[in-house]
Amino acid sequence: MEGSRLRGALDPSGSGADDIAAVWWLLFFLGFAVFVLVVAALFVGVRRSGRPEDRSTSRAWMLGGGIALPAVVIAVVLAVTLSTMRSSAQNPPDTAVEVEVIGHQWWWEVRYPEHGVVTANEIHIPVGEPVALRMQSADVIHSLWVPELAGKLDLLPERVNTLVIDATRPGRYPGRCAEFCGLQHANMDIVVVAHRPDDYASWIEAQRAAARVPVSAAAQRGLDVFVASDCGSCHTIAGTTANGTTGPDLTHLRSRESIAGGMRDTTIPDLREWITDPHAVKPGVLMPGPSLTDDEIDDLLAYLEGLE
Amino acid sequence: MSLTHQHPSDRHGPVGEPIVDEATGLLTDPTTPVSIHHETTAELDRLWDDKPGLWGRLTAVQNDAVGRRMMLTGFFFLLLGGSVDSVVMRLQLARPDSEIIGPQLYNELFTNHGSVTMFLVILPIFEGFAILTLPMLLGSREMPFPRLGAFAYWTFLMGGLLYYSSTLFSAVPDVGWFAYTPLSGPRFSPDLNVDFWVLGLGVAEIGAIAGAVEIIIAVLKLRAPGMSLARLPLYAWAMLTTAFMILFAFTPLIVGSLLLELERGFGMHFFTPEAGGSSLLWQHLFWIFGHPEVYIQFLPATGIVSMVLPVMVRRRIAGYSWMVAAMIGIGFLSFGLWAHHMFTVGLPAIVLAFFAAASMVIAVPAGVQFFSWIATIWDGRVRWSTPMLFVFGFMVTFVVGGITGVMVAAVPFDQQAHDSYFVVGHLHYVLIGGVAFPIFAGVYYWFPKFTGRMMSERLGRWNFWLLFAGVHVTFFPMHIVGLLGMPRRIYTYPADAGWAIWNLISSLGLLLILPGIGFFMLNVWWSRKHGQPAGPNPWGADSLEWALPSPPPQQGWTRLPIVRTRHPLWDQDDLHTGDERHERLADALGKWPLKWRAVLVVGTGNGEPEEIFRVSDTSIWPFVTAVGTVVIFASELLKLRLGALLGAAIVVGAVLMWNRPSPAPMTEAEELEFEREHGVPVRASGSLVVARWGMALAILFLSIAFGSFVLSYFYLRLENPVWPPAGVERPDIWIGAIIVALFAVAVAAVQAGRRGILADDRERLLGGLGAGITCGAAAVALLVTDLVQADFGAADHAYGSIFHTLGGFAIVVTCCALVMSAATFVYGARGEYSAHRFSPIDNVARFWVATGAIAALTIAVLYGSPYLTS
Repeated sequence: MEGSRLRGALDPSGSGADDIAAVWWLLFFLGFAVFVLVVAALFVGVRRSGRPEDRSTSRAWMLGGGIALPAVVIAVVLAVTLSTMRSSAQNPPDTAVEVEVIGHQWWWEVRYPEHGVVTANEIHIPVGEPVALRMQSADVIHSLWVPELAGKLDLLPERVNTLVIDATRPGRYPGRCAEFCGLQHANMDIVVVAHRPDDYASWIEAQRAAARVPVSAAAQRGLDVFVASDCGSCHTIAGTTANGTTGPDLTHLRSRESIAGGMRDTTIPDLREWITDPHAVKPGVLMPGPSLTDDEIDDLLAYLEGLE
Repeated sequence: MSLTHQHPSDRHGPVGEPIVDEATGLLTDPTTPVSIHHETTAELDRLWDDKPGLWGRLTAVQNDAVGRRMMLTGFFFLLLGGSVDSVVMRLQLARPDSEIIGPQLYNELFTNHGSVTMFLVILPIFEGFAILTLPMLLGSREMPFPRLGAFAYWTFLMGGLLYYSSTLFSAVPDVGWFAYTPLSGPRFSPDLNVDFWVLGLGVAEIGAIAGAVEIIIAVLKLRAPGMSLARLPLYAWAMLTTAFMILFAFTPLIVGSLLLELERGFGMHFFTPEAGGSSLLWQHLFWIFGHPEVYIQFLPATGIVSMVLPVMVRRRIAGYSWMVAAMIGIGFLSFGLWAHHMFTVGLPAIVLAFFAAASMVIAVPAGVQFFSWIATIWDGRVRWSTPMLFVFGFMVTFVVGGITGVMVAAVPFDQQAHDSYFVVGHLHYVLIGGVAFPIFAGVYYWFPKFTGRMMSERLGRWNFWLLFAGVHVTFFPMHIVGLLGMPRRIYTYPADAGWAIWNLISSLGLLLILPGIGFFMLNVWWSRKHGQPAGPNPWGADSLEWALPSPPPQQGWTRLPIVRTRHPLWDQDDLHTGDERHERLADALGKWPLKWRAVLVVGTGNGEPEEIFRVSDTSIWPFVTAVGTVVIFASELLKLRLGALLGAAIVVGAVLMWNRPSPAPMTEAEELEFEREHGVPVRASGSLVVARWGMALAILFLSIAFGSFVLSYFYLRLENPVWPPAGVERPDIWIGAIIVALFAVAVAAVQAGRRGILADDRERLLGGLGAGITCGAAAVALLVTDLVQADFGAADHAYGSIFHTLGGFAIVVTCCALVMSAATFVYGARGEYSAHRFSPIDNVARFWVATGAIAALTIAVLYGSPYLTS
C-alpha cells in the first residue's frame, strides 16, 4: 500500500531528510507569515482611499517593509541554513559503510568494495548506521535523490562526490535521478533498502556468493546462449566467463526488485518482454536487442530464473 | 493648438479628484493637459520615415518599425513554440504512465519551451518595447544608432528562424535549456540538435547585445532638454539597468557557447574530463548568464509596474530614489548568486554559504520595490482598470515566487527542492507572476497610445481573472508534487508514485489559462478597430509620451518637449516653456539649417544640451551584416568551413558600407556658426559624444568576453595539476615580449596620428595610422606563427584548446582594429577628417588602446602565467 502514502521530502526516514524537513517547516511558516503580511498590507491599501495630506510616508515603508522585514527573515533563514549545513556536513566516520554508486545512462551501478559485491538500481544499507555513498558518473551528469532519506547530490564525470545517508527505520525508500541525463532520464529509478543489521549481514552474504550454476538442461543451454550471444561483453555473471562492465551485473539478478531503471520487475514475463525487445520497453536504451529465437529465449530465461 | 487650463497638479497631483467615469475608469475629458505644436510637416515625415515597398522594409531603421517588429516576432515565437509546447506537455503529464508522446518528443518540447521563452520571447519583447517607446518617453526623436537597432532585429529574427529550422531537419534540440555538458557534448549528442541550439540562439544573443547598446545610450544621452537623471521615468531606469545586465550576462554566455561549439565542431576540450576539461566550467559560464537573465526579465517588468501603478492610483511613486537604488542594487547583486543553481554539484561548504547569503540578500532590494508600490497604493485611491488588475495580480503572485525564492536559497532545503517540480512551480510564479502579468498590464496601458483606441475593459476582466485563476491552479500544485519527490524533465511517471492527482490539477489549470489568453487575443483584435477612441492621454498619466497624439506621428516629437519636473504632465503647465536656451534649441531643431535627422544629445547627469548630431538613416547594410552573421553560423552547422570565411567577408564588407561617411548637410562653417548662436555644437557628419559611448560599450563588450576567456583559462588551470600537460614546453616568453612591444608601438603610433588630426595635420594622421597598421599586422603575424608552430594542437587537450582559443581571440580583436584603421586611412587620405570632424579617428585610437591592453594581457596569461604557477 505504499502508493497510497504520500512519500517524499516531508516524510523523512533519515537524519539528512529529517534536518531538511525541519528547515522546510520553519521556511514554510515564515514564508506564510510574510505572505499574509504583504497581502494584508496590499489589501488594506487597496481598500482605503488616501487623503491629500498622505504624502511620502515612503521612508517608514522602505525602512520597515523593504529593509527590516526581509533583513529579519533573511537573518533567521541564514542562521538556520548555516547551522543545518554545519551539522550535516560531517565527514563520514571511519566506521561508515562504504558504497560506490556509479551513474550510467540510465541505470545505477552499486558496488560494495569491502565485500566484493556488485548490484544495480538498489542500495542495501543497515538501518541506523551512516553509509558513505562515493558517487561518480560513467557518462553524463546524474543526481541521486532519495527524498525520504536525504537531499540530492550530483554524480559528475570528473570527480567523486560523497553523500552520507542513514535510515532511521527499516523499509524501502524509492529514489531517482534528478538531473536530466538524456532520453530516458524519467526511467532511472533506484531504491534504498534499509535492513535490520542481521538481515543486512545475510543480504551481503548472499550477494557475495558466486552465481548459481545451472541446475536444469534448459538452464545450461541458456548459459550457452548467454555466452554465445556475447551478452557477457556488457554483463558480468560471477563464476562464468561473462565479465562485461557496460551493463548491470547479473550475478544475482533475481534477488533484485526491478530491471530497466525501474520500468519492469524481475519476474519471468517481464524479463521475457525485456530480452525480446528492450527498445520496445525503453526506447533508446543502450542494450542492443539480441536476435534470439523463441527457444533460445526460453532457455535463457530458464538460466536467468536461477540467478537469485 | 494651445490649451490653457487649471494647474495639472490640482487635477492629478497628490490625490486630487480627476474627473473620472467610474464605469470605464477613464478620464471624461481625455484631452492632453499640455500644449505643444503638433503640426507635422510633410518635410519631417519624409525625413523620419522608412521607404515604401519591400526595399523599404529591408532598409527600415526607424525605432517604431524596429521596436514593433521585435515585439511582434517575440509574440510570434511564443505562439510557435512556448505555448503549444506547454499544452502538449501538460496533456502528457495529466495521467500517469501516459503514452500520448514518447520521451524524444517530450525532451524536445521542454527544451524548446525553456529556450524559446528565455531567449526568443521575453527578451525581444522587452527590448523591442524599449526601442519603440524610449524616444517618446524621454523626449527624443530616435534611438542613437537606428542601424544597430535594425541589425539587432534582423539577427534576432534570423537566429530564431535558424534555431527553429531544426524542426525541418528532425534535429530539434533535446538537452534542456541549460544544455549541461557532457550531455550536450559531441560524445553524447553527436547529431546536429545541439548545434542548432548553440548557433541559432548564438545569433539571437548577438542581437540582444546590440539592442542593449542602443538602450543604454538612448537612456543616458538622448533625452529632452532638462530631463536630468533625477527626472528619468522609472521605466527608463529599469531598462538602463537591464541593458547593462544584458551586456554583462550575455557575453559570458556567448563565450561559453563558442567553447561548446569548438568542442563539438573542432574536437577541442573544455568540458571533457578525459582531456583535462571540466563539466562544471560550462555550468559556471552558463549560470553567470542564467541567473542575471531572470532579473533581466524581471527588472523591465518592475519598470512597467512603476509607470502604471502610480497613474492608476493617481499618486506619485513613493520613494523614487529608493526604487532607483533597488533596481541598480538588483542589477549588481544578480551577478553574485549564480552558483545557487549549483547547490547539488558538490561545491565546498564555504562557497555554498556565500552564495546562499548573496541569494537571500537580493530580497532586500526586491522588498524595497514591493513596499514602494504598496506605500503608493496606500497614499492613493485605486482605479480598477485592467492594467491595475494585472498589477494587482502581479503583486499577489510574485510575492509567492519571491518567498519560495528565499526558500530555495536555503542550501539544505534546496538539496531537496533542486531540479524538482518545486523549482518548476517557483520559476513559473516568478516569470508569469513577475514578468507576464506586468507585460499584460503594459499592453493594456500603452495600447491606446499606439492605436488611438482603448482596449475593452469587459474583455480585459475576463482575460485577467481567467488567467489569474488558471496560473495558480496550474502552478501551485507543482510545489507540492515536487516535495513529494517528482523531478523535473520526466516524460512520464508511475501510477504508484502518488503524483497523479496534483499533475491532473495542474493540467486542468490550462482550461482556465487558454481561454484567458484567448480573451486577450480577441481583445487586441477587436479593440484595434472598435475600441473607444482614446485621445492623447486617456489615463491622465504623467510621463511625456502621453503628450503626443495617439497614435503618435512618425517622427515622434515635432518640437522637442522641455522638461522641468519628474512628472511633466502633472506638474508642468506646458512642455514648450522653460530655460530660455532650451526654448531656442527646441525651436531650432526642426528649422533650417537643421532640416535633417537632427537629434539632441544631453549631459548624462544634468540633462543639459550637449550636442546636436545627424542620426543615421535607412540602410540595407544592417540586413546584409545580419545575413553575413547567419552565414557564418550556418556554415558551422553544415560544417562548410569555407562558408564561414564567406560570411566573415560579408560582415566586414557590410559593416564598412554601413559606416561609410555620407556627405554632411552642413558645412563646417555653418556648424560653427550654429554653435556660436546656440552654445551647442552641431555635428552634421556624425556625433562625437554618442560615437564615443558606442565605442566605450563595444570595448566593454570585448573586455567582458576577454574576461570570460581568461577565467576559463584559469579554471581549467586549477582543474589540472600539471599545466602545461606533461611533454608540452612552456611557451617562449621572449616571443611574447616581442609581440607586446609591437603592440605598444602600434598603439602609440595611432595615438600620434590622432593628435595629428586634432592639429589639422593630415600627414601625421596618415603616418600614425600607417605605422600602427604595420606594427599591428606584424604582431598578429608573429602570434599566428607561434600558434601554428606550437608543438601541440588545439584538439590535443584542454591546455591546447584554451591556448589557441584565447590567442585566437586576441588575433580577431587585432584584425578588427586593423580593418578599422585601414578604412579610416583611406577616408583620411580622401580628406574626410579635420580638427573639427575627427570622431572616427578618436574611436580608432580608443579601440587600439583596448586592443593593446587585451593583447598584452593575453600574452601575460598565455606566455607568462605558466612560469608563475608551475
